[in-house]
Amino acid sequence: MADYEERRSLLGEEDEGPSGGRPAANGPGRPLPPICDPSHLLHRVVVLLFMCFLGFGSYFCYDNPAALQTEFIQDLDLNTAKFMQLYAWYSWPNVVLCFFGGFLIDRVFGIRLGTIIFSLFVCVGQVIFATGALVNRYWLCEVGRFVFGIGGESLAVAQNTYAVNWFKGKELNLVFGLQLSMARLGSTVNMNIMGWVYGKVAESVGSPGHTTLGVSLMIAAVTCLFSLVCALVLGFLDKRAEKILHKEEGKTGEVIKLTDVKDFPFTLWLIFIICVGYYVAVFPFIGLGQVFFIEKYNFSPAEARAVNSIVYIISAPASPVLGFMVDKTGRNVVWVIIAVVATLTAHMMLAFTFWNPWIAMSLLGVSYSLLACALWPMVAFVVPEHQLGTAYGFMQSIQNLGLALIAMAAGAILDNRGYLFLEVFFCTCICFALMAVVTLYFVDYLKGKRGSQLFLLSCEISAHPSSYRYSLLPSPSSSRRRFEPVSLSQSQTPERSHFRRRMMMIMMKKEHTWSWASEPAGCTVHLRAVNQLPWGGTVLLTPPSAVICGSSHQN
Amino acid sequence: MAAVLKRSRGLGCVLLVLSVFTLGYCTTSFRRQLTVVLNPGSSSSPPHGGDLLHVRAVGNNDTLHFLFCSLGAPTLLLVHTNTSSSTVKMNWTQFLDGNHSGGLKVEPESSILYSTAIVFSRLLEYDDSNDTADPTSDLFPPYRLDNFTWSRLNLSETSALLCGAADSFTNGSLCLQLSVFAEEGRDQAWPRLLHTANSSQLGVWLDGVLPRAARSRFLLELQAVGGAHPLSRVEVYRSIDDEFTPSIFQVSRWVPSENSSSDVLGFLQWKPVAYRQPHPALEDATPCRHSEPQPQSGEATAATSRLIRAFYTEPETFGLNVSFGLAGDPFYNSTKFLSWTVLLGSGSPPVDSFSPLVLSMMAVGLGTPMILLLLGGVCVCVRKRAAAMAAAYEPIN
Repeated sequence: MADYEERRSLLGEEDEGPSGGRPAANGPGRPLPPICDPSHLLHRVVVLLFMCFLGFGSYFCYDNPAALQTEFIQDLDLNTAKFMQLYAWYSWPNVVLCFFGGFLIDRVFGIRLGTIIFSLFVCVGQVIFATGALVNRYWLCEVGRFVFGIGGESLAVAQNTYAVNWFKGKELNLVFGLQLSMARLGSTVNMNIMGWVYGKVAESVGSPGHTTLGVSLMIAAVTCLFSLVCALVLGFLDKRAEKILHKEEGKTGEVIKLTDVKDFPFTLWLIFIICVGYYVAVFPFIGLGQVFFIEKYNFSPAEARAVNSIVYIISAPASPVLGFMVDKTGRNVVWVIIAVVATLTAHMMLAFTFWNPWIAMSLLGVSYSLLACALWPMVAFVVPEHQLGTAYGFMQSIQNLGLALIAMAAGAILDNRGYLFLEVFFCTCICFALMAVVTLYFVDYLKGKRGSQLFLLSCEISAHPSSYRYSLLPSPSSSRRRFEPVSLSQSQTPERSHFRRRMMMIMMKKEHTWSWASEPAGCTVHLRAVNQLPWGGTVLLTPPSAVICGSSHQN
Repeated sequence: MAAVLKRSRGLGCVLLVLSVFTLGYCTTSFRRQLTVVLNPGSSSSPPHGGDLLHVRAVGNNDTLHFLFCSLGAPTLLLVHTNTSSSTVKMNWTQFLDGNHSGGLKVEPESSILYSTAIVFSRLLEYDDSNDTADPTSDLFPPYRLDNFTWSRLNLSETSALLCGAADSFTNGSLCLQLSVFAEEGRDQAWPRLLHTANSSQLGVWLDGVLPRAARSRFLLELQAVGGAHPLSRVEVYRSIDDEFTPSIFQVSRWVPSENSSSDVLGFLQWKPVAYRQPHPALEDATPCRHSEPQPQSGEATAATSRLIRAFYTEPETFGLNVSFGLAGDPFYNSTKFLSWTVLLGSGSPPVDSFSPLVLSMMAVGLGTPMILLLLGGVCVCVRKRAAAMAAAYEPIN
């Protein structure tokens, strides 16, 4: 029950009375104005604003090299392979840090200090990066990207933890959606504005060159500074809310156990292959995209940047919509197959035709968003809850490893074999993902046919044992329509978030009979729990406002 | 599942082997016998002022004569005859005299199907102080290549190297390298143009020349000379295949204007790229542009090139400029090197196709998931059927 207590304290304000009506620590007897009251929506909106801008700087600066590809290569006298090292150096620290980011936040720094420290890393990394360009020392640029990488991914984890801490049980999905949109916005703005910034700096400096590049990157570093300010303000507001509401500092709740790796099911490894095979064909391509559009389609640099950023532009509004769609229909594996095939088509269009790249890139944008919505929640279907933290950490870790290696390989391939070969190489990577997802489909299908199809029941404890909200998740490929009354708030999850681990999962047999809605409140359901739950093997769920409940005639 | 993977990999291997075989078959389909003679029929060696190289490429029932001459402006002449026994007849006194045609004849004259020549007439330099790469203004007095001092032809197997310099060059040189091929293939060095046995390749490079301005860019003036069908228009093709010339998606062809028969008689083909280093990497590539071919005085061309004078009685000439570098690209001064490559050949220009590696990667990549899908589908169907059978025989109690 310790687990439960922790959750309850996180959401302490849930059961409290109407906002603003409660005495606060610093103003005894006097109600706070809504904007200053941590339990009021208006205050949370302010917090949300800071939360969204917390990640803006890191997303803005992550794709700086892509936005200024030609300038980097000319001003620092690089080849493409060396240029792609900038991306590789970002990924290297995250191969390891994905396992420890949550641990550092929970056990070492705490969420507030952790966020500030990671923001500082981002900031300092970007400044080192810019200095490297300013003095024309490429190794210094690489060091900068490394430091930047240390902060970047962990900052995303911290951002998610803040979101869960402040919005759990309330507007969490919306908040995640907004954060993701903000991240995409950061990338998009960067892609479209950095060229202009560089041009303006070149005008005032006199000529393009490494000085101009350095100054432009320093200007970009202002966004990181802005994010650092957001981290500080958030830290202050969180501390204040803790005092007023007597709540606990947020935790990622991650438990990473590396020994779990040996217990990972075959299907999880397939998901890893999909993840690596897919993402290595998207991010390194965007990193190299600008010059590709200039060289192959004779685009102007500004237009090339615009078409390169369309993936992010589409992703911002499409992610929530597609997430909703995947939630409603279920059948994640089928959606993943569709996304992978669409991406393959987009890459083949870019490789083998002169068709307008807006078509291919838009398709890539939609399929990329679809994949993110369908693939990441699938992990929760195939591993028990206590291994979820390790599974996600591992997944991000190999993703970063793949990105680092493929970024270097892509640069070298482009330098020696050209864009056609590079695109064919990316197609091959996606084909690996396609093989894995087709295999996953059949493995899942055949497993299901053996008569012991497993369903997942996940319940979320919102505040009190008497107000359990729970819902059913079918196995990845089966339709969710059969469980129409189900509503699950947390299956629509953006990538990189860790909050799914809070879901409880119970595996149960297909033969159980279910009846919907008509049952009176307080009905019991007997479930076979395969993983360790705080309350043991048989679960008694007593929702006060029963939307669904099931009863078993077996056992 | 392992069995499935293994099987599909096997099929991939078969595909790979197949495609390699097909390509192998293509490359060995046609060969020419090459005979290289320097200054054919000349008693004095070296003759005055330059060399004449004759490469005779004999095919099954035709002959290509490649004649490369450094007397005057460097000129490459290609004569296509329809017998495998045609010969070149030289009259050296008349050839060196340079006043009348007839110093060089291909016999029998009736066997000549087509002839074309390319003259490298002038090297132009302009001061691009505003970095616009617009060569109309600020042109320095051009270097005339017929006034250059040319070295002896340096022969090695099937290629010949010719270097020369203007008197005003303090150091550095302009070099031309001619390669003639017995069969289809491509060079190891970029731009790795695909050549057939019907084409020859000319590499031109400008090495170490001191530019007359810090922001100098160069142009090369080419003149195409022909008898009946001179090369008169440049077609630019877009190609998706940049595997051999990274980041270049265009091919330019200088061909005769369309005649009654649809097949092309001869061509000059290049990719619009020059390189700023002798052993270039991708970032040393610099784009080049060409002007529209303009008709020019054949007599003036004949006056600059001994070979044109000797072979053609009434030369028809078109000229164009190839300019190196676009606005924003580094100037010649940055590396003091520029190289550019062009093919001259008869018949239709060779067209790049996907390499076997690309084809096999796509075949394996797309084929394996398809096979997986098929096998999986079959597997599922079999299981379904088995389940249905089992259900049908269940006792009814």
